[in-house]
Amino acid sequence: MDKKIKFNTKNLDLFYGDFQALKSINLEICEKEVTAFIGPSGCGKSTFLRCLNRMNDLIESVRIEGEILFDGQDINGDIDVINLRTRVGMVFQKPNPFPMSIYENIAYGPKCQGLKDKTQLDKLVKESLIKAALWEEVKDRLNKSALGLSGGQQQRLCIARTIAMQPEVILMDEPTSALDPIATAKIEDLMSKLKKDYTIIIVTHSMQQAGRISDKTAFFLMGEVVEYGETPVIFTNPADKRTEDYITGRFG
Amino acid sequence: MGRKVKDNFAKGIIYLATGITLSVLIFIVGFIFVKGIGLVNFDFLTRDFNEKVFYAFVQNEDVSMSIDEEALKQKTPFDDRYESLIEGPIYVDNIGAAIAKVTYKNNATEHEQLVISYIEKNSPLTNAADSTGKEMRIGTDYVIQSINGTDFEGLSLDEAAALIKNQSDELKIKVVQPGGGVKSNIITTLYMVLLSLVIAIPLGIFGAIYLTEYAKPGRFVNTIRFAAECLSGIPSIIFGLFGMAFFVVALKLQISLLSGSLTVAIILLPVIIRSTEEALKTVPTSFREGSLALGATKLQTIFKVVLPCAVPGIATAVLLSIGRVVGESAALLLTAGTVAQIPGTLLSPGSTLTVQAYYVAKEEGNIELACAIGIVIIVIVIVLNILSRIMSDKLDVFNKK
Ligand SMILES: Nc1ncnc2c1ncn2[C@@H]1O[C@H](COP(=O)(O)OP(=O)(O)OP(=O)(O)O)[C@@H](O)[C@H]1O
Ligand SMILES: [Mg+2]
Repeated sequence: MDKKIKFNTKNLDLFYGDFQALKSINLEICEKEVTAFIGPSGCGKSTFLRCLNRMNDLIESVRIEGEILFDGQDINGDIDVINLRTRVGMVFQKPNPFPMSIYENIAYGPKCQGLKDKTQLDKLVKESLIKAALWEEVKDRLNKSALGLSGGQQQRLCIARTIAMQPEVILMDEPTSALDPIATAKIEDLMSKLKKDYTIIIVTHSMQQAGRISDKTAFFLMGEVVEYGETPVIFTNPADKRTEDYITGRFG
Repeated sequence: MGRKVKDNFAKGIIYLATGITLSVLIFIVGFIFVKGIGLVNFDFLTRDFNEKVFYAFVQNEDVSMSIDEEALKQKTPFDDRYESLIEGPIYVDNIGAAIAKVTYKNNATEHEQLVISYIEKNSPLTNAADSTGKEMRIGTDYVIQSINGTDFEGLSLDEAAALIKNQSDELKIKVVQPGGGVKSNIITTLYMVLLSLVIAIPLGIFGAIYLTEYAKPGRFVNTIRFAAECLSGIPSIIFGLFGMAFFVVALKLQISLLSGSLTVAIILLPVIIRSTEEALKTVPTSFREGSLALGATKLQTIFKVVLPCAVPGIATAVLLSIGRVVGESAALLLTAGTVAQIPGTLLSPGSTLTVQAYYVAKEEGNIELACAIGIVIIVIVIVLNILSRIMSDKLDVFNKK
């Protein structure tokens, strides 16, 4: 069965000033799958990920050429960025809960969209926390500061916060790199569950993680996508020599 | 020379410098306290600076004394810095109060005067009215100068008491509300702090938000920053002159609370902008990104996430500002005036404690009084500092666990 294509980039180039960080990227990312980006440090994975919800707008020197189609619409064209970001959520490498209560952290996004109804908010907060597998741990301290949570809990809170926006896509930039194996396992588990409702794109440095959780994998190198395909194929039978070298750890 | 010797030498210099700084500080504060503490008492804090003369209209109504003679003698509400008892007190039934004769002495004059030493609970003095019929208060230690047009000057205490008793209808008494206190200056100071902060803080915060969050870094922003820096180095007398020319004269705001606080607000702006900018810059980008990634607008991000994080820094700005307003003399001298009164409206003049201290020391040569005012200033600064510390701790989002 062919899945619907969520993101489609065409000849995407990105420049930081004079430096070209992404070179002619052509990728099709399918709906309700986990897509992993792997590649050595500095190859442009984060840069590409941040293109997908236009977080690069924050950086003055960025210039983008080419097209990024989201459900067929060019997101660098005439669209509402706020609306795009509510549909494409993002979880960052370092957990970044706001210095507010756990409840407020999750209610923040919906409130910014104008949701005021207390019972609706309560329900949304609870559902999001349950989906993010955090409810049991925090249900008695919803009004305590989110900064008092452990790193792993904070990251799950950030995921819950993103889920509360009911997005279509969740972008995750090395979401487990600051966490211990147990917390990592919890979040990986969570992603497999979330994938039936959401399209997930994850950047990771861990081959095992990519292998465990993703359906498709893209291998980035020096701003280019060297190889992209079904995860099992990439990991067992890569077409490109460089992919094989990287995956087997022989890469310099 | 060994390394150890050099180290010890350097250490010695550090300790010496610290010691000198500390002892100078202690000496100054100690000097002010020793000089001024004798004048600081309850009256000093609750009375106006100037005496006030007015006519009181009082019912002629007999009220007998409810305490005995011994107890009456104990009632000596005199300001013992200036007054000492000569005669009395004698209780006078038809005003329901006791009067006494005292000598009044300050560094300029010495004379005798009649004062009220005790007032019965239901004495007619307690519901006196002024010439416009408005209710007014007559308290103990008020001086009485004449009754129904007859002066007390030159009369003995007994004669004066008899004169009061012999009046038949309503009494028209000329009373003097004693001065010598700094209540009005304290209140003016608090008004000035409040008003100038209310003007300067929002302006400063919005200015800082513009500079850090909106303005494109470049020549324009650098120019503004440079200008703000220069402003903070200009002596306040220059601002005073500007305030006088612009607010007082050109805008016709007169020498007033408003002119004063506008002028001081300008003095405060650079400090507030600077500290708020620093505070905004220390808010991690990850908070801004997190907020924007959730579909918040830039404005929502600034007001809901960034600003709350900057509260401790802004509180520092407020602290510095309070000290600046309380300590300001030159600029306020020219724009808010030296009238020791509680400003009734925004356009009335009033002198803050610091201006009053300057005035008293310079014009009256009364160092003790100036030092006493100095003590009040120090205490107010400390109290305001503690208050805003507590406030900022309450508001500090990183403190709540
Ligand atoms: N704000 C920026 N300004 C200029 N150059 C940048 C900026 N951000 C990233 N770069 C450059 O772009 C290239 C790609 O960076 P990016 O962060 O996307 O790499 P990455 O694949 O995510 O690396 P890592 O695995 O270490 O996170 C790097 O060479 C980096 O130096
Ligand atoms: Mg990265």
